[in-house]
Amino acid sequence: MRLPGDQEQRERRSDPGRPASGSGAAGAPVASEPSNTADRDNAAERAAAAADFCRRAEALYYDGEPAAAVGLAQRAFELAPESAATVDFCAWLFSNSGCHGAAAAAYEKLLYLKPGWAAGHRHASGAYALVGDLDRAIHHALRASELEPHSLEFALHAGSLHIEAGRFHGALGCFARAVAIAPDDPAVLRPLSTAALGAGDHERAVETALRALRLAPEHAVNAHHATEVLLRCGRFDSAAELIAAALARNGADPIGFRLLSAAHMQAGRPEAALAAIDRAVALAPANAEYHQHRGNLLYRLAQFDEAAAAFAQAAQLEPDNPAPKRSQLTVLFDSGRFREALAVGGDLIRTAPDNEEYAQAVMTVLSRRFETLEGDYLVLGEKCAAPVRATPCPRLSAAATTQCRVILALIIRETRTRFGDSILGYGWALLEPIMHILMLSLVFAVLMHGRPPIGNQFFIFYYTGIIPYHIFVHTSSSMTYAVSANTALLQLPLVSTFDVIIARGLLELVTDIVVAAILLAGFTAAGLGGCPRDFAGVAAAVVAVWLFACGCGFVNAVVNAFAKSWDKIWAQLTRILYFCSGIFYVPAMMPDWIRNRLAWNPVLQAVDWFRASFFADYAPPWLDRVYLVGVAGLVLVVGLTLERGLRRCLFEPA
Amino acid sequence: MIVLDRVSKAYRATGGRRIILDNASATFEAGHNYGILGGNGAGKSTLIRLLAGSELPDRGTIRRRGRVSFPLGFGGTFHGALSGRENAAFLARIYGAPVRATLDFVADFAELGDYFTMPVNTYSAGMRARLAFAACLAIEFDIYLIDEVTEVGDQHFRRKCAAAFRARMATADIILASHNPQTLRQYCDRAALLAGGALSLYDDVSAALGRHHRMLQEAG
Repeated sequence: MRLPGDQEQRERRSDPGRPASGSGAAGAPVASEPSNTADRDNAAERAAAAADFCRRAEALYYDGEPAAAVGLAQRAFELAPESAATVDFCAWLFSNSGCHGAAAAAYEKLLYLKPGWAAGHRHASGAYALVGDLDRAIHHALRASELEPHSLEFALHAGSLHIEAGRFHGALGCFARAVAIAPDDPAVLRPLSTAALGAGDHERAVETALRALRLAPEHAVNAHHATEVLLRCGRFDSAAELIAAALARNGADPIGFRLLSAAHMQAGRPEAALAAIDRAVALAPANAEYHQHRGNLLYRLAQFDEAAAAFAQAAQLEPDNPAPKRSQLTVLFDSGRFREALAVGGDLIRTAPDNEEYAQAVMTVLSRRFETLEGDYLVLGEKCAAPVRATPCPRLSAAATTQCRVILALIIRETRTRFGDSILGYGWALLEPIMHILMLSLVFAVLMHGRPPIGNQFFIFYYTGIIPYHIFVHTSSSMTYAVSANTALLQLPLVSTFDVIIARGLLELVTDIVVAAILLAGFTAAGLGGCPRDFAGVAAAVVAVWLFACGCGFVNAVVNAFAKSWDKIWAQLTRILYFCSGIFYVPAMMPDWIRNRLAWNPVLQAVDWFRASFFADYAPPWLDRVYLVGVAGLVLVVGLTLERGLRRCLFEPA
Repeated sequence: MIVLDRVSKAYRATGGRRIILDNASATFEAGHNYGILGGNGAGKSTLIRLLAGSELPDRGTIRRRGRVSFPLGFGGTFHGALSGRENAAFLARIYGAPVRATLDFVADFAELGDYFTMPVNTYSAGMRARLAFAACLAIEFDIYLIDEVTEVGDQHFRRKCAAAFRARMATADIILASHNPQTLRQYCDRAALLAGGALSLYDDVSAALGRHHRMLQEAG
């Protein structure tokens, strides 16, 4: 029955300009007549059926079966969409049963039937807002407010929808209208201030919020609102003052303390913020957010243990919220409690398995834990409480003993390292000067026929010259490199630059004495004669020249640290000394003016001291033992002072 | 006990002097294990070397009571031409430890086998480190200085080190520079914080860690 009629309607719609009385189409209107009549009859029937459904739906709804009621109402709505009573009932039932989409459709239908119905627009707006269609919700809300400009509720509703949609300028208009209706109502002023804040008009926002507070200071919500607005405007100190004043009136306000804490924190006073949140937590211990905030503050104050406890509390209050667990993880990690951090990390991943950032954080903890010793140094896990021991203050004698020990160790080490690579080792240190002296004395013995200037043998004569010279050259040169060759050793606190320098000097002295003894023994064995006349004198000469060499050696070591080529210059100087020190001649052979100058040479003095003690018949008038000792002492003081004073600059640690 | 008395130390670095310590005074008391905290480049390693005496301060004095070790595992004093044995003997002589006993300990501990009597030049890096650890543990120091606990050798050697070290810690103190809070908590009961040329001591490791953390936050 309906199909032909529908077809008819479609046809009519397809060509609305066609005259109804057209001859070619005469049959059509006629054919439609019975159909329309039938529709009218059916409409009446359907309305009756729909009314019946509605009654049954209402009964079901009150019986506590809203689902079944909605089903019936939907059938009624389909049956009689033109019946205002049916649609009105359906809209009411849909919205009360939570079917806001259907309710919105029903209100649209009703508004079609009853245009200009302000309350209907308001209802439709509410239904659309609940299904999330803010555009239509706002449209209807504005319409409702326009139709009834004096309704405070309609204006407020439209304004809050605008805020929800983020259209703050529109919201400002709506709330301005609301304020015009009720100028002294804080409940109207507060949203106006929020809208102004959103629109970026901070002045107006603050002014309005403060006005609301002035109108009803006894209501905490006004103080809260004003504080929040001030905080959002960046006026942290004003916010703190304001909320503190409100808290002075009413101290049992956890939200107030929470806001005070926020204000203090933003103003950079974490300690005060912590005190405030402590109060808030005391007033409302079950609020997880307060514990979370408190944990953040403690973390900022670096009270890790307390912060971890606060986050743990927050996590316990809200087991499904991953945020406190995430914070707890950070605190535990930063304070090195990796084991606990891992446990919390596991919990975190269970709570929020799909969060990539959380997984990353737990991975960091894991990898860090593997980096630590714990795995391999487990035995050290429990803290070893070391007993307090009294370490006696070292005595001077102990310090001297230590230094002797160090120098001795250095000498032993030196003997091993000087010729470390060769099989003969230290033997080379002895052999080399022995060969040198033997070769040269042989050359002199062959070249200079006849008697040497003193004694009978060239060997002995040359020997008495070269030994003091060698002691001087070997000692002073070897000490030059002592610091640079032992940089690594100087990193040992017990080893000082003095130790390494003097150790080398002592080793050279010992070496040269051994060489001298071996040679002398050899000469005696070979029948060349030559036991020294005065052993003590010879020893004194050796000591004197060695002290002079040590002084020069210390100066060299210091100078060489600052002028790297000093060792080359020193090598040239010692070569010149070879010719100036009367080694292969006696100063008596020189002209007076040369001898007078050569006599200033401490090495020549040393050689002559040595010879004067060695040979019975040699007593040069220019020999001045006090001069040599004096010069040696002077140079030694200078060298030791330089070493001591510049000790810190002598070497760059490796 | 190590006492720093108005100690200053600075380096010439690119872009001016880098100050490690500026007129800093502090006392590391005997009977406590100290952890040294400091940001990257604050000079933790330099401080350890100053305490060890490997480096001298620019001004001020550092007094040590008791035998202070060279930084643990530091093999820089070894002479390449000398054998491991000779190097160890040298250290024993320097510190006045019985040479024979020390050598026995090192030979047993470092597990170098025949290499013990061969020149250190022929050693691998791992062998050198083992020798250095063994020598440091062989000599009974009163204070051990550790710059970042280094991982040496295989699992087996590390365990052995840990055990020996624990035995030492019963009679010796440690001063440990590390940026790892876990390690510091594990070994130390006190802490020193090195920052901006100042050295501040804390009786509580947690407090020092907290302060350090805050400074890092403020810097970052």
